[in-house]
Amino acid sequence: MSAAGLAIRSRFLARPSEAAHRIAGQPLLLASCPVVIPAHRVSPFSTSAPSYCANHKPSGATQTNSTASSTTDKYAAGLRKNKDWAAQTAREHPELFPTLATGQQPQILWLGCSDSRCAETSMLGLLPGDVFVHRNIANILHPGDLSSGAVIEYAVKHLRVKHIVVCGHTSCGGVAAAMGNKQLGILDPWLLPLRQVRERNLAVLQKLSPVEAAEKLAELNVRESLNVVTQKDVVLSAIQERGLQVHGLIYEVGSGVLRELDTSDSDEAIKARLVAFKTDA
Amino acid sequence: MSRQIQQSIECIFKNNQKWVSSKKEEDPAFFEKLAAGQTPDYLYIGCSDSRVPANEIMGLEAGEVFVHRNIANLVPNIDLNVMSVVNYAVRHLGVKHIIVCGHYNCGGVKAALTPDDMGLLNPWLRNIRDVYRLHENELDKITDDNQRYNRLVELNVIESCRNVIKTAAVQQCYRDHQYPIVHGFVFDLRDGLLRDLHIDFENMLEDVMKIYHLSSHSAHSETSGGA
Repeated sequence: MSAAGLAIRSRFLARPSEAAHRIAGQPLLLASCPVVIPAHRVSPFSTSAPSYCANHKPSGATQTNSTASSTTDKYAAGLRKNKDWAAQTAREHPELFPTLATGQQPQILWLGCSDSRCAETSMLGLLPGDVFVHRNIANILHPGDLSSGAVIEYAVKHLRVKHIVVCGHTSCGGVAAAMGNKQLGILDPWLLPLRQVRERNLAVLQKLSPVEAAEKLAELNVRESLNVVTQKDVVLSAIQERGLQVHGLIYEVGSGVLRELDTSDSDEAIKARLVAFKTDA
Repeated sequence: MSRQIQQSIECIFKNNQKWVSSKKEEDPAFFEKLAAGQTPDYLYIGCSDSRVPANEIMGLEAGEVFVHRNIANLVPNIDLNVMSVVNYAVRHLGVKHIIVCGHYNCGGVKAALTPDDMGLLNPWLRNIRDVYRLHENELDKITDDNQRYNRLVELNVIESCRNVIKTAAVQQCYRDHQYPIVHGFVFDLRDGLLRDLHIDFENMLEDVMKIYHLSSHSAHSETSGGA
């Protein structure tokens, strides 16, 4: 595709006020809808209230944000950077893209948080083709969730990854929300497993400072997600038959450093797990 | 534990240290700024495929893009997982753009065109067969298998965009702030380049809202709950 084809359309660069003016003739969208909602309530998730609020000005006040000018718009920059990245990666690894086009053989399945600061392939210093990835709110694994279930099934059974990594992180908004008690609509059922972990560890968490408690809950959440991973027969079989490993990590967003948790189980726990969860064809 | 498997995980921690050092060289305050919070402009919904890493293909740094990845970049209407991501990104982070990114040679899309029983994967992949059924006339006219399959990859992205636009969060936020804008991309593994499918967001929104209109009253948004 030509450079022109990749160039951003001008309307994406329009200031919100201009966009509003342009579509004011569409009552379906705007005119019949009184603007009354403060759309963004950050406090339940806030791990750092002041900086979170940068994006949350009402529409009339957003002219300084990054959608306002073509020189700072990160969307346009992103598409430009993609060309640079593709060219540079092809220079440094001439065989990479032709090889990738034929298939993937990642060694790692990464189950992490959607948080923008937790960019797995970058922080691992790895290349395209190395890490199969599922990221969701607060790296929570619901036992019956088809989305993460399909990812784990495909990665373990079909791609035969050698490692499964569950990675939580400090300053997690989902953890902060589960440490609070504000109603959040559809996010409430999603965050339920985090609250279950909070309930089971209430005494420990209450003895800690808010920051320490959030870090503790993030760590307990990683352990809980690892529990769910190793309750799946496909994972248990791969551990037994071909030495698949599971790991729990915490990513420190303030330093960029990954820390591995000791997630080794006692022989007794492993035995109980196999009795309860191992199934046969 | 085999030596080879052990080495590959140890290598990760070395790589991580190298990455930390290189980021600090570029900007000594890089991580301090990230520790203060995230203010990403983008939500990226893409495929779990290892060959399509979100930050790398868009040239974005840590902190710039909120990411959800699943098999074949689907946005099923009743998937609590992706709906929670959209809700959080739109209502709580105030992202300006939502990018749904598919890729040619997608194993999930290919599997959905194969008459095999994939066990647990069946219900997930069935969403792609639904996309085929919605566009059966167009797809059936394409005689070349590869071209038909690549077109399904594109149509699957477009349908995921449509499902994003069906949410109350997107409709209400756009009504009030004129963002987020929803985009459809396809990544080409052969050359590493992103292609914009140039979805006409405003028309698609208007079209979707004929049936899926969820923003005329504000009651539910008071608890910022709807997705």
